[in-house]
Amino acid sequence: MDNNFQSTAEYVASEELMASVNVAIALKKPLLIKGEPGTGKTMLAQAVAKSLGLDLVIWNVKSTTKAQDGLYMYDTIQRLYDGQFGEEGVDDIARYIKLGKLGEAFESEKQVVLLIDEIDKADLEFPNDLLWELDQMEFYIHETKRTVKAKHRPIVIITSNAEKELPDAFLRRCIFHYIEFPNAELMEEIVKTHFPNVEENLLKNAMDTFYWIRSMRDVRKKPSTSELIDWINALQIAGIPADKIRAELPFVGVVVKKDEDLEAVKHYV
Amino acid sequence: MFLKFFFELRAKELNIGLSEWLTLIDALDQGLCGSNLTQFYYVSRMILVKSETDFDKFDTAFAEVFKEAQADEEVTYQMLRWLDKEELTELITKEDREIRQKQNSEDAPIDKEDVETKFKQRLKDQTEEHNGGSFWIGTTGTTAFGNSGNYVGGVRVGGASGYQSAFEVVGARKFKDFRDDRVLENRQFQMALRKLRQFSTRLEIPKTELDIDGTIDKTCQNGGYLQIEMQRPRKNAVKLLLLMDSGGTMIPYSTLVNELFQTVSKSNHFKDVKCYYFHNCIYSKLYKTPECENGDWVDTDWMFRNLGSDYKVIIVGDAAMAPEELYSLTGNYRGPNGGLSGYEWLGLLKSHYKKIIWMNPKMAPGQAPWREAETAIKKLLPMYKLTVRGLNEGMKKLMETR
Repeated sequence: MDNNFQSTAEYVASEELMASVNVAIALKKPLLIKGEPGTGKTMLAQAVAKSLGLDLVIWNVKSTTKAQDGLYMYDTIQRLYDGQFGEEGVDDIARYIKLGKLGEAFESEKQVVLLIDEIDKADLEFPNDLLWELDQMEFYIHETKRTVKAKHRPIVIITSNAEKELPDAFLRRCIFHYIEFPNAELMEEIVKTHFPNVEENLLKNAMDTFYWIRSMRDVRKKPSTSELIDWINALQIAGIPADKIRAELPFVGVVVKKDEDLEAVKHYV
Repeated sequence: MFLKFFFELRAKELNIGLSEWLTLIDALDQGLCGSNLTQFYYVSRMILVKSETDFDKFDTAFAEVFKEAQADEEVTYQMLRWLDKEELTELITKEDREIRQKQNSEDAPIDKEDVETKFKQRLKDQTEEHNGGSFWIGTTGTTAFGNSGNYVGGVRVGGASGYQSAFEVVGARKFKDFRDDRVLENRQFQMALRKLRQFSTRLEIPKTELDIDGTIDKTCQNGGYLQIEMQRPRKNAVKLLLLMDSGGTMIPYSTLVNELFQTVSKSNHFKDVKCYYFHNCIYSKLYKTPECENGDWVDTDWMFRNLGSDYKVIIVGDAAMAPEELYSLTGNYRGPNGGLSGYEWLGLLKSHYKKIIWMNPKMAPGQAPWREAETAIKKLLPMYKLTVRGLNEGMKKLMETR
């Protein structure tokens, strides 16, 4: 494999994850990433793009997003207005066709990384509507009778928070990877990429406390990697002595965000 | 050998199609798996398995095909039955746990092979149930075998995992926690409950919403002059009645049931939600609070009269009553029976509410004839385990149209 994904200076990927990315690229299949919030699903696409030196196109999916939005939009309203005021070029439909993110990735002169972020937020049928487009890497614009075909097959990375079950037909076409919550060892490595000069004692105490909070059954929203990083940042800036972290839980609001969870944590202290 | 792997996976209820299998062959052709088993494991898993909830099934199948059988003896069904004692974990106090942790750190390392050999020998010899002993495989004992025991670093056999002390957990695999038949959490509750939707625009309410597509259509047909269309908002027509057991045996599941209650009361997409509590079994009174205090109740008959048969009913309970609590006319030791046995009350409930399911957090897998009440209720009402899969199946049952 000539284009091989490696961990970057900012993103630490496990062996397994790197293998998944490289297999997906080699087999020309979309890579579906699942995992707890805050395990760096979205960051992965950025890291892949950076590591391979490609541009990144991000398609953020929302609950109202339709598959069509990613392909193209025909701005009929604009055309209607223009028609009423007798603007020039109204008879040229192509002027009113706007490509979506998928279309943008297909039309790009260079190969790109396409991130379809949080695909499970959209309607249940959404992934099915994209099967043909992701398989064949082309779609057809009815209004102008034009086929948009990918000049260079984009590397497609799809993330999901498992809010909805994805359809079987869609899953069959994907390479799947589940990002596990990092263990202490990997977590240390991740924190150190953000703060190379972090003081060992502070890091150890903060991480112990962090995993301790995560292990509490009553804590509903388990804190994630990004929260630990924010917390260590805050602890460093404020210059909190390491031995006070577990006992006093300074800035615990950075890690625990819900009122009930705060109560629960204080209960254990 | 590889085809055997394919069929083994399908036998484990992994829904793998030919296209994925061909993808894997393609990956092998391209040399993506290298020549080592670990890499083959990861590559085949990422191609064939599409959900972390299935990793565990994959692991078992993989182990069966590619490794020699790990244990010579299987832990028999009979033995697992002896060890099925969830209540016992309640009895273990905090001090116990501290003592154990101390032991754990002080003890010399335990000889794994030695423990294994003895375990196999004992599996062969044991013929009866043991609890609290010091030699046989059983619960709350001091040997290295069984569960809920005091021995640090032995072999756990069945039962729920109270502590992390057993160094070898028979049959435990890394992704077991991700299986979708495990007990579920709040967010997953929400997702499952969202399945209870029955949108209706036929409700008798005024047309208050702007019909955007209709308006655009009409306006365009009107030559560009605006013409507004209105429509009735779509509303969920589902009404839900939640009946929850708050008896003593439900204490281990109180957090879980509390979370279900929180989710139901917070979800605002139902037309109506009603919650009542009962103690062990349903009789002539239903309590308004989980404390089940005398007087703070409604008549079950009142509920039948006032909550019509269009309510969908979810009963949450462990169905672990004593037989007389279920069948005797005086089986209710906390309140009135109302002239009927608990079983007859449940029958009434079933005949009144057409859509009714029982969610049981500790339902035994398969047939469990030694749980008499559970077996009887299972025959009467559709019962599901309170897990992601169970709740989803239950929701499907509630939404069935016939």
